[in-house]
Amino acid sequence: MRLVGFSTGALAYSDFQLGLKIINENHLKAVELSALRENELFPLVATVAGLNMKEFTYVSVHAPSKYDPARENDLVKLLQKVAERKWPIVIHPDAIRDFSAWKSFKGLLLVENMDKRNLIGRTAGELAEVFKKLPEAKLCFDLGHCRQVDPTMNESCLILQQFAGRLGQLHVSEVNSRSTHDPLSGASIDAYARIASMIPEDIPVILESTVRPNEVHSEVHRARLALPLSSAANGTSKRDAKYYQNAFV
Amino acid sequence: MTPTEIVDPVAVLERRTRQKWTAIGRTAVATNTITKRLNELLAGLSTADTSIVVFGSLARKEWTSKSDVDWTLLVDGQADPQHLQVAQEIGNQLAKGKFQEPGASGIFGNMTFSHDLVQKIGGRDDTNENTTRRVLLLQESTAIGKPDAQERVLRLLISRYLKDDRGLRFGTVPYKVPRFLLNDIVRYWRTITVDFVDKQRDQAGHGWGLRNAKLRMSRKLIFATGMLSCFSCELLCSSEARTELIKHNSTVAMEEHLRSFIKLTPLEILATVLLELKIRKKTADKLFSAYNAFLAMLDVPKNRKHLKALHPDDVPSSAIFAEVRKFSREFQAGLTDLFFNDHEKLRELTIFYGVF
Repeated sequence: MRLVGFSTGALAYSDFQLGLKIINENHLKAVELSALRENELFPLVATVAGLNMKEFTYVSVHAPSKYDPARENDLVKLLQKVAERKWPIVIHPDAIRDFSAWKSFKGLLLVENMDKRNLIGRTAGELAEVFKKLPEAKLCFDLGHCRQVDPTMNESCLILQQFAGRLGQLHVSEVNSRSTHDPLSGASIDAYARIASMIPEDIPVILESTVRPNEVHSEVHRARLALPLSSAANGTSKRDAKYYQNAFV
Repeated sequence: MTPTEIVDPVAVLERRTRQKWTAIGRTAVATNTITKRLNELLAGLSTADTSIVVFGSLARKEWTSKSDVDWTLLVDGQADPQHLQVAQEIGNQLAKGKFQEPGASGIFGNMTFSHDLVQKIGGRDDTNENTTRRVLLLQESTAIGKPDAQERVLRLLISRYLKDDRGLRFGTVPYKVPRFLLNDIVRYWRTITVDFVDKQRDQAGHGWGLRNAKLRMSRKLIFATGMLSCFSCELLCSSEARTELIKHNSTVAMEEHLRSFIKLTPLEILATVLLELKIRKKTADKLFSAYNAFLAMLDVPKNRKHLKALHPDDVPSSAIFAEVRKFSREFQAGLTDLFFNDHEKLRELTIFYGVF
């Protein structure tokens, strides 16, 4: 069974503790602690130092997507405390100014592919440029972002093919035309299911769908439909997955 | 080296045939200058959801002195009343920059919505305008400013043409040519040839000479290169892409091939095919020298003016039209050699897909 959890930011805007509480109440074993805004990072790091997170099989932290470039080194230092706990750190490539500062996180750094609003990190070609600068970093593959950039899912195949060895975590949601994260629809479930078998089963799935607390369980169920295990895949998705897998050999 | 990786195939062909097609080179350089100006003039008017797409000579890199700018604001995103103002602003900026307005057909100079292009391929809602915009988007378009919306729509169109083509995916025909796409390209060509006669009647001969010359040359070029793009899936695509299609009914790699291929201009596609299939130099020379003569003629304002004013009844006395006839017949002869005489497989494909 895939490990499916939630981003705290998707469940409680700018309040990771509330998000964590909702995730706990739903007995999910994977969490991404969200500090998308710069001012959220310090309290998050300070608080989690004293938190018992042992009930979670997987914990990651989403670094701020925007910050004062003058404070980049301070931010990296603060995130070292996260790295000390061996928690992966998700970063948007366009947030990085000084790549050398982020190299120290090595394989704990997960570079996320971007949505259509950005000029870098959207496609396999653009990600390759980022990984040249961060050779040890891994990939947080955001399926919603990639589907927004290329609704045919061909680019998703290319990314999964090219960076199979770097895949560290998934972001799953439906990204709408305004680039916000919605619950999964039938169309997105169908699109993701077509490439699901290219995603190893041990890769943690973090949902970013903005849902109410009482919708968490059903969204997790939809995520499992979108990412069926190979043995559970129906005939069509098995066939599609096979040809997607081989398409770029 | 894959076909789309040949750097400037026209220049390579020029060297191979030991020719100098100066008008082709000059109009390509002029296109770069104009594109730069347009990028400055229209800066900030495109977004991730909207691309300013230009068609015609600008997209083909064949800009001549009196070319007009055929453009549309391609919308692929959330509806926004502001899109109209943006489209109007594009028109205003182009007028300020002293660019010629698009023709009066109403196909260009306004907004185009991606859903119509992607959803309405065929059927009664696929209007003449919709077909024109869709096929030209595939065959001769480029974005000024942000290309995101244009690239997304191109991906979706190619994906639809190939994934919906059950004959391509599951058929037993020995060739892998996207017939759904090919038929749309053929349909568009036949439509413009029929509309040519309709315009002749409707506009009482106004603009006839120029339209005729374009039909014989630039319109015919994009028809020919449209066919070659489809045939490239059989002739020039990687063996892996073909294997995946045959073994797993997957069009993914074929879509990527086609997407790269149609990014080339029509002349680049033609040159690539001539080089890759090792077509006779004589044929290459016929085609490119004729096209060079066409561009050289159009680049002289008085020639263009003469052709624009030329009524069909005055053709016998027009030395310029006699010249058009001459190079267009050479061009036609070159195409006949290419498609029927110089390459056995291309001949087979042309007969198999182009006739019945």
